[in-house]
Amino acid sequence: MPDARHDNPAPQTQHPPRRVDSGQGRHGGQAGEILALAYRYRVYLLAAAIFAVMGAIAPNFATVGNGAAVLKAAATNLLAAAGFTIVMISGQLDLSVGSAMTLGGMMAIGLQPQLGVAGSFVAALLAGLVLGLINGLLVAKARINSFIVTLGTMIVVQNAVFIYCGGGTIPAATFDVQDVLQRPLVAGLTLQILIPFILAALLAVVLRRTPIGHGFYLLGGNPQTAWYSGLAVNRYVIGAFALSGMLSTLGGAVVAMSEANANPTLGDSSLMTIVAAVIIGGTSMQGGKGSLMGTAVALVALAALVNGLSCRGEGYEVQLMAGGLVLASIILYDAYALHRREKTRGQRKDLLKELRE
Amino acid sequence: MSSSPSIPADPRAAAPSRLHETLNVLGVYVLVIALFGIGCLISDEFLTRNNLMNTLQAVTLLGIVSIGVAFITYSRHYVDLSIPGIMSLAGIVAVSALPYGFAASLAAGLGAGLAIGLINGWVIGHLRLNPIIWTLAMMSVLSGVIRKAYAGAQVYPDQATPAGAAFLDLYHAKLAGVVPLPLAILIVLAIAGCFVMRWTGFGARLKLTGSSYEVARMTGVNVQRTIMAAFVLSALTSAIAGILLTSFNKVGASYIGKGYDFAAITAVVIGGMTLAGGRGHIVGMLGGVMVIALMNNIMGLVRIEEMSLSGHVILRNFTFSEFHKAIVQGVVFILVVGLNSYSRRKSGLDDA
Repeated sequence: MPDARHDNPAPQTQHPPRRVDSGQGRHGGQAGEILALAYRYRVYLLAAAIFAVMGAIAPNFATVGNGAAVLKAAATNLLAAAGFTIVMISGQLDLSVGSAMTLGGMMAIGLQPQLGVAGSFVAALLAGLVLGLINGLLVAKARINSFIVTLGTMIVVQNAVFIYCGGGTIPAATFDVQDVLQRPLVAGLTLQILIPFILAALLAVVLRRTPIGHGFYLLGGNPQTAWYSGLAVNRYVIGAFALSGMLSTLGGAVVAMSEANANPTLGDSSLMTIVAAVIIGGTSMQGGKGSLMGTAVALVALAALVNGLSCRGEGYEVQLMAGGLVLASIILYDAYALHRREKTRGQRKDLLKELRE
Repeated sequence: MSSSPSIPADPRAAAPSRLHETLNVLGVYVLVIALFGIGCLISDEFLTRNNLMNTLQAVTLLGIVSIGVAFITYSRHYVDLSIPGIMSLAGIVAVSALPYGFAASLAAGLGAGLAIGLINGWVIGHLRLNPIIWTLAMMSVLSGVIRKAYAGAQVYPDQATPAGAAFLDLYHAKLAGVVPLPLAILIVLAIAGCFVMRWTGFGARLKLTGSSYEVARMTGVNVQRTIMAAFVLSALTSAIAGILLTSFNKVGASYIGKGYDFAAITAVVIGGMTLAGGRGHIVGMLGGVMVIALMNNIMGLVRIEEMSLSGHVILRNFTFSEFHKAIVQGVVFILVVGLNSYSRRKSGLDDA
């Protein structure tokens, strides 16, 4: 690293670079190793902690029916979160996932009189694909910052949906689909829960085990290296956004179809939850690192937190706060670890002290 | 004729001339004048006193917020997404501090905003957190806190007390009987912001930090404190605008300030400040604010009685709602940023 050289002008032979405590704790012996393990599996620990605390303090939290409710809440955002994870692994940001969910739900329900159930479902997916392609093309070809592009498309889609439905809820034309999606199959699990989780599991395998999946990691880790090694960089960026758009509308469509109505505020609170879950799940904001497994576990943990709080009778505002606080504390912790590492990398503390005096 | 072989000039090597820079800043005003002309053509209502006052009102509050945002954009940290939260927090705190007197109420409102700005600035400046993610989390926490603390209800200033009456008068007060107070605040802040950004050491450090974080750091600039200051300034202007907006709406509520974050960043970008940091001018940015306000105003005046395309009537009695306006704003936002970065890339100023 260039700044390491700058910070340490002394000959390397006299002062071999010391290994500093970086949260990985290599020099800390057994305790350090445990700490490193804890850091690595922190999302599982967080989930376990939330479940334990809520089980202890919230009445009716630890019941089978409530477990299904937690999974259902997690499943609502899971597909859009999977898309967001893939985009973030590729080193970009997709703020339009929440409004894409609303769009998907609205099209899957609102077009039923014209296109039928299957037709409107396909239309919802196509809408997501088009939205994702627009995002991806603007980012990859027009080379506009993805934060700007998706902030813009988020606003456009949100308001277009509002105009379409006139601000009200649209009821479904038929309740057959709702019956299918809401029927418990095994242990209280419905298709509404199973579809997102199974799809996310498949995506996780693709991401981890196939060259295509590895391409996203390569791209996010270092776009230039990815380009030099022959990766079709633009195609991957566009693909990531297209996937994200389609997964989001699919997720929204599944939710709306199982509720048998489309709400224009369906995805409003989703963006915050999704961003929180993806980051808590260990996906790096710089790209190139992350996993769908982590995202899914974090979503379940957040859903459990919200569910436990509402079991205790806390309202929406506390849930809003809790989500933000969990995200804030996790990123603060990460940033603090990184900050310490940066501060002490290649430093000679005694020399610095002399210079200061 | 020179004997040395001619080397193709690197556009980056040539410093842009003074004239070029001035044109860059004032270019947005061509758009303002064009929009003004369109407004006159489209509707007779445009040039009425009432309508122009409405536009001016839209300009002042957005302008005050945008001045702070400009500092963040200048330092290459895009935008503070917690601005709506800061605005409603400042307003609601000011209203609830009214029983302790008018001055205390203003101080409390500004203090609340400043506190959030300090937290944002410390976290983003010192811990180098992604500004978008952090301020998004902050927004969520803030709106939760406000809803919890005030139980989702709205707080009304009490008109019967002198402090409450003064608070409600704040927005409508006129300096020397002519200049509305918000406009005066905007002008003072704009001049101060312009001065700070152009002619002080802090402005220079901010420009360097925005242009290249690493270079600034290695040159000895205290980048952390510089970035922190940018976020504090933005929180301060948001708090001011929040208090004024609360006074205008006569109510402190959690939804006050909604949409100002997006409108402000759009204004800043239209006004010629690039998201790549270190470029732009407050004067240009004010032009961007005017463009947005005029655009919204003109869209509000448009009435399309009937529009047909190849025989089919596609629109009847169409007026732009808030939602249509937001869509247009979103599209303009993407287009402007796209064109801006495209032209910078073509002229070799940016390689990204």
